[in-house]
Amino acid sequence: MATTPRSGGASGAAQRPNGTSQNKSCQFKLVLLGESAVGKSSLVLRFVKGQFHEYQESTIGAAFLTQTICIEDTVVKFEIWDTAGQERYHSLAPMYYRGAQAAIVVYDIQNQDSFQRAKTWVKELHKQASPNIVIALAGNKADLSNIRVVEFDEAKQYAEENGLLFMETSAKTGMNVNDIFLAIAKKLPKNDGANNQGAGAGRRLNENETNRQTNNCCK
Amino acid sequence: MANAPLNTKSNANPNATATAQPAKIETRLCAITFFARLHPGDVCGSNGLPLTPNSIAILGRAQRLRELEHENLCQYLDVIRGKHERTIVVSEYSGCTLEEHAKRSSLSQTQILRIFYQVACGINVLHAHKLVVHNLEPKHILIQEQDHVKLFNYGLYHMTKGGAYVPFPIGNIRYMAPERLLGANGNIKSDVWALAMMMLELLLQTTLWPKLKLSNIARKILAFGRSNNVLERIAREHDCYNLYQQLDVDVRALLERCLSVPLSQRPLPSELLAYPCFDPQREELRAPSNGTVDAAPLPLLLRCPLSQIYHLWQLAGGDVQAELKKEGLIRSEAPILALPQVVRLNGSSAGPKRSQSYLMDDRIVPLKLNTLVQRLRRLPASVYFPLIHSPRFPYEFAGEMQQLPLVIRERDIEYQFHRVRLFARLLQGYPHTAELLQREAAVDIPPLLRGPVWAALLEVIPNSSYAKIDKFTATSTDRQIEVDIPRCHQYDELLSSPDGHRKLKRLLKAWVTAHPQYVYWQGLDSLTAPFLYLNFNNEELAFLSLFKFIPKYLQWFFLQDNSAIIREYLSKFSQLTAFHEPLLAQHLASINFIPELFAIPWFLTMFSHVFPLHKILHLWDKLMLGDSSYPLFIGIAILKQLKSTLLTSGFNECILLFSDLPDIVMETCVIESQKMYESTPKSITHRKHALRQQPPQTLDIGIDDVELKHLLAEQCPRISAKDVLHLVQHAPGELALIDLRSVVEFARVQVPHSINIPFATVLLGEQRLDALNVPQLEMQLRGRVVVCVSNIHQHAVEFSQFLVACGILRTCILHKGFNVLHSIEPNILIST
Ligand SMILES: Nc1nc2c(ncn2[C@@H]2O[C@H](COP(=O)(O)OP(=O)(O)OP(=O)(O)O)[C@@H](O)[C@H]2O)c(=O)[nH]1
Ligand SMILES: [Mg+2]
Repeated sequence: MATTPRSGGASGAAQRPNGTSQNKSCQFKLVLLGESAVGKSSLVLRFVKGQFHEYQESTIGAAFLTQTICIEDTVVKFEIWDTAGQERYHSLAPMYYRGAQAAIVVYDIQNQDSFQRAKTWVKELHKQASPNIVIALAGNKADLSNIRVVEFDEAKQYAEENGLLFMETSAKTGMNVNDIFLAIAKKLPKNDGANNQGAGAGRRLNENETNRQTNNCCK
Repeated sequence: MANAPLNTKSNANPNATATAQPAKIETRLCAITFFARLHPGDVCGSNGLPLTPNSIAILGRAQRLRELEHENLCQYLDVIRGKHERTIVVSEYSGCTLEEHAKRSSLSQTQILRIFYQVACGINVLHAHKLVVHNLEPKHILIQEQDHVKLFNYGLYHMTKGGAYVPFPIGNIRYMAPERLLGANGNIKSDVWALAMMMLELLLQTTLWPKLKLSNIARKILAFGRSNNVLERIAREHDCYNLYQQLDVDVRALLERCLSVPLSQRPLPSELLAYPCFDPQREELRAPSNGTVDAAPLPLLLRCPLSQIYHLWQLAGGDVQAELKKEGLIRSEAPILALPQVVRLNGSSAGPKRSQSYLMDDRIVPLKLNTLVQRLRRLPASVYFPLIHSPRFPYEFAGEMQQLPLVIRERDIEYQFHRVRLFARLLQGYPHTAELLQREAAVDIPPLLRGPVWAALLEVIPNSSYAKIDKFTATSTDRQIEVDIPRCHQYDELLSSPDGHRKLKRLLKAWVTAHPQYVYWQGLDSLTAPFLYLNFNNEELAFLSLFKFIPKYLQWFFLQDNSAIIREYLSKFSQLTAFHEPLLAQHLASINFIPELFAIPWFLTMFSHVFPLHKILHLWDKLMLGDSSYPLFIGIAILKQLKSTLLTSGFNECILLFSDLPDIVMETCVIESQKMYESTPKSITHRKHALRQQPPQTLDIGIDDVELKHLLAEQCPRISAKDVLHLVQHAPGELALIDLRSVVEFARVQVPHSINIPFATVLLGEQRLDALNVPQLEMQLRGRVVVCVSNIHQHAVEFSQFLVACGILRTCILHKGFNVLHSIEPNILIST
């Protein structure tokens, strides 16, 4: 694989290996949305720490993690907001997807309702999130494909119709987990400064703060 | 498992007899051990996740047995998991087995009847609890002095779910009723059969089928189906027809009924107890026994409940696993010896046979109490039986002990002994002892009694309402509850057991049903977990504790739309942070690190979602003693502990810190929050949505006075005139009142010792106290509650903000401004 996720990633700016000057670095804010227990936190844990916890705790409010990957000559830092899935926490969601450059909407391939819920999220993102947001649809728990309810083709078709990236993933086996983040990173614009307000994106959770953004990425 | 002995008796280690000697007084506890059935290595549940180990399932099921207390039952005390699915059961044990007893001397008919009457009593109690024994045999009947009988190991069938969780069959085939051989289990009448078989063995002075193979015994028993008098048939087969004929008619009738093959003709244990042949035993047991009077008096310790004794035994260094090792019941073998030699691609392997140490070994290992008795011998009787209402109470027991860190106190055997005895007393007297209990709980709470102590602190009075609540009808929240439970504190053995899951589900459903105005929010599961963990066998107490806890600390939090409540709460949290940690609050505000992003799980679950259980217990020990504002101070104490990192970090680093909360030292956190809680005037914590004991009075902050918009606009909290008055009158040294009105107004009327800084004259641009040109201002404010007073509210708001920016601690604003002070009677104002 061309990319190597680096663990941790808590430290500020992405480092440039060997000081090669053509390396660029970008930060993107990414949010995970989807029904409760579909495996959002598990996907993040797999991506960020390479781990899987069977008894992953449920998420209340939201959790924040970061991870840095390199694609080609660019260092991409993801600032990831993992949100709570229970419908009741819905009112908090805009706080997290507002200003996000990317979203992964997750469903569980053995749960039809979670797929419907995913579609609702996509609609909401199209309506309310920033217009350039890159959305990926993840059909998680692909390791259980022998008891699947949501067909691959059905989801694939839906994703194509709505302009979404699509993969079936498994946080348990790691299948397609890095790949989906990578695909998103590839699709995000990295050269055009105007589209890249990533740096400090996590900070822009309050509307009144929008004018304070720093526009210092992709140096 | 093919090589598991069906009849464990035949496999018993010859050493076994050594442990069955007449019990010395110190032998009250014992351990037995076995292995739970291993799941095949690669099998997952339908959700793709590993199956719950059977030993955990056993652990969960066994908890119920610990509640059984009856004179004819050995009390269960603990179930411990060892390595590789080893399960260890700790239980009461005293006397010698019936097997031994009968060998030692031949028993008279009266003695035999006396014994079996008590066995029937024991079975009857189990039946009332909907349990069956199914492994009744002479070595599970213990005889103490004066033929006092206790059943032992009677819970094995229940805890292993009828043997499903273990690789060996349960029960001695000799005493097995025919229906059980045909696979019909779970009927108490099968135990009645076993009782009769043991009884006839003694009465006919014979041993059942001593030389037959297991399969032949089974055939014999099954053949009873064709016989109309099993008793007679057995007597003939064992050459004791004579004895059979000499049997007392009543006794014979009883045995014949008990040995009826059709279940309908066999009596229930309760019917058995009413049989005429037991008349003398009934009489005997009803009459008060005078036996204990001449016997040597028991050491005081042994008069304490066994659960306490076992707890202390552990504190005194008792280690069940070590005892088993000593007896050779746990043998360690080099793991390399167990490696397979060949593994086929389909996963099956060939290699050394499983070691003998994995076989069922039913030896009983006594846990000796000598050391414990020795250690506690010196303590005066008053510690064993504290006289809480005597005028000399509280005596200064271990006053210096209480200076030591909690972890040390919790492991000190003498100290714990003292605390346990005291709290046990206080709980007996509850609710009359509520006040004393509260006072003692403020010192510390003994872990053994934490569940009931918390319940008492929450003013729970059990009223059997729990039983009446519907916990079963399906509702729309069921799915959420079902996906949350397997993610809730699953590192804990009890909570991860199937029984734990079932109980948590019932509690959550019951809570939702009992509160039509509320809904299930994710997080309620974590909030319930500590109560279930502490009251695993007393769901009602767990439920009622939760029931009281939520309104006390989380009033309205579980409304369908709780946003107003949460926003108010978090704003108050920000204000209090500014009050106690102005610089930190300033920094966090400047990087937009708002509590909405990290503190919702803290408060919604009272930290039970962010800390492991053992930390929550200590945190809640203190929380229970505080009011609804206490959790806010815990939050600040956490921030405080991370202060240096937070102050030097940007947004991302701060938020990362909280996504994976680093080790918080609970004891410091508890002490800090306690300090802040005590040094904060009550009105500072005012929230519209808190539960109130009394309606506010004139000088209090009115319920609806402070809206969310005020909280958001004001960095500093407001203080009520009442609290200011209190400070003026009782603690003027703790108050610094800054009067922001003009010099003229100030001269006309003022609070004594207040500092006049006319708002019109100050420039707030510079964030330095010196800029105010008030001599020694910092000194005058240090260590005091700084109250900003004006008649123009906005002035007070801006000035207080300035003080926070200057890092002044405990800054607040007088609610309703200076004019409210005029209404105080008697007058406190003066003029110059
Ligand atoms: N078999 C399988 N189980 C998974 C997979 N991903 C997650 N799980 C399990 O599904 C359950 C829920 O996973 P979480 O990651 O907590 O789900 P979530 O979407 O974050 O849920 P909320 O926090 O409630 O919104 C956990 O028990 C995981 O172990 C997967 O790829 N395969
Ligand atoms: Mg989650």
